[in-house]
Parts: sequence; structure tokens; C-alpha cells
Amino acid sequence: MTKLETVIQPAKFDAVKDALIEIGVEGMTVTEVRGHGRQKGHTEFYRGREYTVDLLPKVKIEMVLPDQIVDRAIQAITNAARTGKIGDGKIFLARVDEAIRIRNDDRGENAL
Amino acid sequence: MTMGPQPSAMPAPKLPMATPAANFPLRDKYRQESQRIQRDFEAVGSGLASLSSRTRLVDSLCLTLWAQCFASRQTCALIALGGYGRSELFPHSDIDLLFLTGDDAHRDRIKTGVTSLCQTSWDCGLRVSPTTRTLAECGRFDQNNLEFTLSLLDCRFLAGDQTLFERLHGKTLPQLIARESDGLLQQLSEITQIRRQRFAHTIFHLEPNVKDGPGGLRDCHVTQWIGMIVALASGRKPDLISVRQNGAHGEMLAALEFLASSRCYLHYRHGRDDNTIAWAAQEEMAARGIATGSGPVSPSEWMRLYFRHAKAVYRNSSQLLGQISQERSSLYRSFQHWRSRVSNSEFSVVDGRVFFQQAADAREASVVLRLFVFLARHGFSLSPEAERRINDAHQRLAETMPQDQYLWQHLREILTQPRAADALRAMHSLNLLTRAVPEFETIELLVLRDLYHRYTVDEHTFMAIDVLHRLQTDKDAALQPFAELMSELEHPELLFLALLLHDTGKGLEGGEHIHGSLQLTAAAVKRMQLSEDDAATVCFLVANHLEVSSTLRRRDIYDPATIRELAAKVGTPERLKMLTLMTLADIKAVNPEALTPWKAENLWRLYTRTTGYFDRSADSERLDADISSEAIGKIIAMLPERRSGLLKFLDGLPQRYVLSHTPDEVAEHFLMAGQLPTEDVQLSLRAVSGQHELTVVTADRDGLFRTLTGILYAWGMDITKAAAFSNRAGVVVDVFCFKDRFRTLELNPPERERFKRSVREILMREAPLEPLLESRLKADHRPVKLTVETRLRFDDECSQRSTLLEVVTQDRPGLLHTISSALTSEHCSIEVALIDTEGPVAHDVFYITCADKKLSTETMRAIEWALTAELADALPSTW
Repeated sequence: MTKLETVIQPAKFDAVKDALIEIGVEGMTVTEVRGHGRQKGHTEFYRGREYTVDLLPKVKIEMVLPDQIVDRAIQAITNAARTGKIGDGKIFLARVDEAIRIRNDDRGENAL
Repeated sequence: MTMGPQPSAMPAPKLPMATPAANFPLRDKYRQESQRIQRDFEAVGSGLASLSSRTRLVDSLCLTLWAQCFASRQTCALIALGGYGRSELFPHSDIDLLFLTGDDAHRDRIKTGVTSLCQTSWDCGLRVSPTTRTLAECGRFDQNNLEFTLSLLDCRFLAGDQTLFERLHGKTLPQLIARESDGLLQQLSEITQIRRQRFAHTIFHLEPNVKDGPGGLRDCHVTQWIGMIVALASGRKPDLISVRQNGAHGEMLAALEFLASSRCYLHYRHGRDDNTIAWAAQEEMAARGIATGSGPVSPSEWMRLYFRHAKAVYRNSSQLLGQISQERSSLYRSFQHWRSRVSNSEFSVVDGRVFFQQAADAREASVVLRLFVFLARHGFSLSPEAERRINDAHQRLAETMPQDQYLWQHLREILTQPRAADALRAMHSLNLLTRAVPEFETIELLVLRDLYHRYTVDEHTFMAIDVLHRLQTDKDAALQPFAELMSELEHPELLFLALLLHDTGKGLEGGEHIHGSLQLTAAAVKRMQLSEDDAATVCFLVANHLEVSSTLRRRDIYDPATIRELAAKVGTPERLKMLTLMTLADIKAVNPEALTPWKAENLWRLYTRTTGYFDRSADSERLDADISSEAIGKIIAMLPERRSGLLKFLDGLPQRYVLSHTPDEVAEHFLMAGQLPTEDVQLSLRAVSGQHELTVVTADRDGLFRTLTGILYAWGMDITKAAAFSNRAGVVVDVFCFKDRFRTLELNPPERERFKRSVREILMREAPLEPLLESRLKADHRPVKLTVETRLRFDDECSQRSTLLEVVTQDRPGLLHTISSALTSEHCSIEVALIDTEGPVAHDVFYITCADKKLSTETMRAIEWALTAELADALPSTW
């Protein structure tokens, strides 16, 4: 099993979610976050006052997937979230040793 | 508190109940009877009848067990408490039993019997919750265990020493209540408020809790307990039935039957004490016609029935609780006494409740409308008597309720007062809101069946209105910028009206609700005879109320194209403000967690970026001669025979000009421009929303803006907003909104003409400005206390031909003249000016050129230096 931690533009969330559901991803955890990568921030003005916007709004999607659909999930995310501009986001992958469904003690991929 | 009939015992089993195996017959009997009661409930659907049957079943079981476990002992009484004592035993409720003894010595002697009875009860499947107390213990009020004292109020004799029960019932309990009634009522009020707080103090949850939710069964019990405590404290004998009937006026009994049936069904459905009316349960109860009295209905209709009953319970219990609060708190009373001074010739206020001064006034729609304005302004509640009078006159009120401008006059006042939401709820509760605004009827108690919304659509609407009113006092830091925005609105009443109607389409058949809402809104604003501009604004807000949230969700708010498109859709900064606030209120009123700080910040960013775009694009987005847009089409439609002249007039004017003026105003400016060949300066002066608006149409010339601001300052006028535009032909349209500081124009009508003459003469150089200015400067000798830091910003990139100068500083008399004088001194021309004042803060944007070019770095430095020096002083020092 692999854990995918994906940080994307908020505007792309609906498209990414639909694409993941399309390939059979059944569960995900979504968090509203702020951050920046190379994109960094910029300066804005409101009523003459200067604001430094260094942390931009992003959506973080976390999911643990069976290994056999990880590549398809990555493809679905990149297809849906890519604009080609700085700030499209990142996907991080990590191995997961075990998963347990609290309700009935299912383990491994059965618990996903 | 009742002395129920002596229950008949089930036939006692022949074998003692000492072993689990011996419990089977009794357990089986209990199960069979329980199943029969369930079948009866399913067939008849009466909750109260089912509770009564179940109470009798448990009574007989308890008596059987009592006979086995306490056969030879009469030193103890077995007493039913709480819901069981009230004979309202729900299928999976705990069975509260009190083993009452005379003293501690007896407590030890009954221990074995108590243990045996309880164990056997559990073996039979009864969820017994026992407590053993002496009579003296029952007579003491434990502040940490209010629930026990409350449960004693419902005590009912089952078996054992009846004399002991009589002592509890006839002496100990009345003495306890008489002694502790104040504390009891106060604590009861407090725990009720805490419980209601868990449900945000509203009955209108989409998946309500039929027991603990506001307007639920617990609130029914609260009204009963208050009645019993008050009766016992005054030496009367309370009777549960009479308390129910007296306190209920019938609607409480009907509500009790409905709620009891619902809870009964939920217990059977879930197999446990789960009282949430979830979506699936709603559908089932609606399909089965549970508690409807008229067979199956739609889920929405079933929920409407639920809310009607819950509303009655909530209102009755709240009124009783309100009386407790008033009677117990001296601080509250003194505050209410102070507030009661707002009583007037129509309404009196007693202990925070409003009464009609004249009973007959309740039949007059105009007085009743003023009553709701009064509630919205002061935050009082209606007295039960006023409610009754309005209910009695409902038919007449419904028939005579105004539907036109007269209604709008009152409704706008209600909507803009701080407690508007509560006043609207009161109107709605008395079925008067839907009489005044029939469009609202579509969403009355309407349930939205999704996981996102938590309240009914009408309650969501009231909450959204309340969100905006509470912005000023909300401590949430994320909301502070929006509070400022709210205070800047020119016509908040239009935003509130749009909020009131924005979801009305949800009650219509069909897909997208916006179309339906727009149709209903158009009908409402037409009926209420709003001006064409106001009606257009309200319809715009309703039609676009999802635009901002859609942009937030689907578009990159840091993409300039997103901002440009949103600005184009919204049109003007004022509409952007309203739409932003509408979005905030709409999201926050969905459920308490819907507006996260993340969303609020994104919304604010979107607003600031779009409003910044409006300022930056004012000079670059200009109208062309071959323009075609909806706004231009409307203007041309007013003067079709002068189409070419009109287009020539519009050519080169900023798009902002057309978007920020109505077609009527643009047509008027065009006609004024047409008079320029005969008279060089065309003026229009009118009163607008407590201020004055001066429009000047003339040929452009050096220092024009400086001269105009100087004239207004010299006359003692305080400019709050202004805009200066010019077309390609060099015709200038300058519009100034100003406050007449000394009420010169208001108190001396002839001065209006003298003022206009003065403007014309100075602009035509027939009279000098300086003498006027000098006398004003002498009069304005008092320095202004500076609290706003001055900020200057140049932007050389937002326009191809001008340099933007943004000035944010402390507003003060003559400020605009100071700034424009400094610009004129540096030989600058003001191409476009956008002037705004909010409280003490002046926010002015100028597009300036020097010799028809952008400013050089040296000129910018010179202006910065001059303005920094000028604005650091309290008053302008040089002219």
C-alpha cells in the first residue's frame, strides 16, 4: 500500500476528486491548507497598505491506495491539476505497512 | 407528580427468581408484551398510547419482582422517577427507580432486595437505573445533582411502604421545592440554555434531535417542571395533567403527541435510545405517516409538521424561561428597567417584553409593522399577550397587510436594524412574514436534503441576515475586515432584501434555484415599488449570489484573468462589496463550521484583488465609439433619436463611468453636455440619502478639480465621495457627494441657487475663489486629531498613459483641495479621480499625467514630498 499526499490548487480540487473517483479511489481525506513551494509569495496592496502574501491557499488530499492503482491515481491527479504554471502543486508518496479498519478489524488492503 | 393507579401485577412465576434460568418466563413475557406494544404502535401510530402501555407493562414487571424480592418487608417504598414516573416510558429509555427508606438503618436492610430486583430486571431486559435514598436525603437539594431533584417532581408510587411515599410526596418534596425554588429554577434555566447552546439555539436543524434539541421533548418537560415548581412554591398541589393542559393551550399537547410518536418510532427503528431524526428516518416516518394524523406525506411535509410543533414547544418554553431569568436576576431587571424607557405611545416594554398600549392596535397592519421595527431596533421579545392579540387579529392583518412601497418602508427599516433576524423570526412565527412577502412562503420550514446544510432554508436566511448584523461585534479576527466593509455600504437595505429572497427559488420545482429566486425577487421588488436602480441591484445580487463562491471554488484567485472576469461580471465596486458580504453570510449561515478561516481569508483576498483591479483599470478600460454592451444599449434606448451624439459623448469615458451611473444619470449628463455651447458650465444639485450630490459637466481645463474641491471646501461642504471622468472630446463629468457641515443648503433653500451661482461664477472666472477660501481657513482653525497614518503609493504600470496615485489618509476639511493643489503645483492633470471616504479614512485614487505623459520619477518624488508635508499638518497650510 502507498500513501499519496497531494497538494493542489483549490480550484482544481473538484476535477481531481472526480478523476480519482473515476479510477476507483473510494476514500480520501481533504484539508484546507496554506503553503508555498518555489512559487513563494508576492505583494499586494489594499487601500494603500502593503500585504505580503507568502502562504497561498492550497488543498491537501491524503489517501492510502493499493499499489496497483497508484500509477493511475498519479496520472489522474496530474492530468486534472496541471495548468503548467508555477503553483500547480506536488504529490508525495510513502510506503504504508498496515491499515486497520477500526469497526471490524479488517487489515491490509481490505481495510482501505 | 402523580399517584398513578395501583398497577396490576403480572402473574408471578412459580419459581423464585434467584437464578438466571428462572428468569426466562418473565423475560419472555416481557418480550412478548413489548412486541405487542410495538405492533400496536406500528398499527395505530400513537406515541403517548404506546408509552402508557409500556409503562403499565414495566409497572407489572416491577411489582412482580418487588413481590419476590421484598415480600415480607415494608420498610421501603419502590417509586418510579423521571420519564417512567410520568408514565412516558419510551422503548429504550432507562427505567429510573427510587428505593426510598425512612432512615439509614433501613438502607442496609434492603440492600440485598435492591440488588436482587435490579439484577433480575436486567436479566429480563429492563435497563433499570436504581437509586436508594432516605427521606431526609430526598429533602436536601444537591446543587451538583439537579437531575435527581427534577426526577423527584415526576415521582410515582409503585409498591412498598405507601406511607413513606406519602411523606415524600405530601411533605418532604413540597418543603424542598418551597425552600429551593429560586435555585432550582435558576439552575433549570442554566442547564436548558447550555443544552440549547449545543444546538446553536435553533430548532431548525435538518437532522434534529427529538429529545434534546430546542423545541424537543426535553423542552416540553422543562415547561412542565417550571409549572410544578411554581405551583409547589406557592403552596398549590401540582398535577401533571393540568400542568400540561394549562401551560399548553392545546398546541403543546399536540406537539407532545407528535414528538412522542416520533421518538417512539426512532427507538424501535434504531433498537436503542437514539433520538436523531436522520434523513432515512425522516423518509420512513413520512412514508408511514407517523404522527401526521393524515397518512403518508412527503419527507419535506413531514419535517414541516415537525418544525411547526417544535416551534410551539420552543416558544412556550422560552417564554417561561425568560420569565425565570427576569424574576431571578436583579442586574437583569435593572437593565430591563433601563431599557423599558424606550416605551412609546404605541408599545410598552415590561421586563424586556413588548405590549401594545392599545389593544385595538394589534388589528392595524401599520402598527404591527412598526412593532416589528421596534423589536428589530431594540431586541425585545413579544409578550405572550401581544402574540395572542396578533394571532386573534391574524385574518384582518393578513387581508390588510400592505404590499407596496409602504411595506418596503417598514421592511427596509426592519432589515437594517441590529436585531432584524429576531424580528423577522417573530414575524415568521406569527405567519405574518409570508403575508407581507408571499415569496418567502416557498421556503417556509423547507428542508434541504444534503450533508452540507444544517438548517431549514428560512432559518438559514435569517441566520445569514444575522451574520452581517453581528459582524461589528464578532470577535473572530477573520471577520474584522468584512465588518469594515459592511459599514461602508451605501445601501445595506438592498443587500438585506436580496439575502431575504436569495433562496426562495429553492421552494420551487425545477433544477437551479437561482432562476426561481430571481423570478420571485423580481415580483417582490416590483410589488414593493422599489426604484428601478434599487430593484436592479437586488435582482443582480440574487442572480449572482453564487458567483463569488463559485469563483473561489473553481478558479485560481491569483490569476489576473479570474479577477478581470469577476470584475467584469460584478461591474462596480459597490456591487462587489455587497456580493462579497452576501457570500460571506451565505456560507456562514449554512452551518457553524462552514466558514473556515481559510475560506474567509480567500474570500477577502478575492475581494481586495478585485477591488484593486477596479481602481487600477479605471483609466485603461475606456469606452470606444463603436461600443456595444447591455449598459450602453439601455442608455441608447432612452434617447434612440440621439444615438450618434450619445455615442460621441461616451467615447473615451472610462467604463467605470457607465457602470457606476444609472442610464438615467448618463442620459442627464449627455443632455447637460449638449447645453455647453450655450453655457460653459452645466450644474445639477440634488439631495441623495441625507447628502447632496453636485454634478458638473464642463470642458476640461487646468486645475478644474482643484477649483471645484476648493469651492466645496470654501462653502463648508465635506466631500465623502467623488468621481471625475472625461471623454475623448475633453468634456468633463465630475460628481461630488458631500455633507453639508453647517446645513447651509438645508436650512436656507435660497442658498442652493446662490451656491450653484457661486460654483458657476468661479469656474467661469467671473469671481475669485481665494477670498472664499481664506474666510473658510480662518473659521477652520481647530486642528484635526490625526489618527490615520498617511500612505501614498504610485503605480506606473496599471495604465498605459497615466500614473496612478493612491492616497489613504485622515479625512479632514479641505483634504481633496489640498491634494489637488499639490498635484496642480507640479503641473499634473487629473485624468480620472475616484474619491471615497469611510469614517475617518479618506481613500483617494487619481490617474494623473504631466504634459500628457506618465509622471517622471522626479515628479513623483516632488508630489510625494509635497503631499507628505501637507498631509502631516492638521489643516492645509498653503493653497
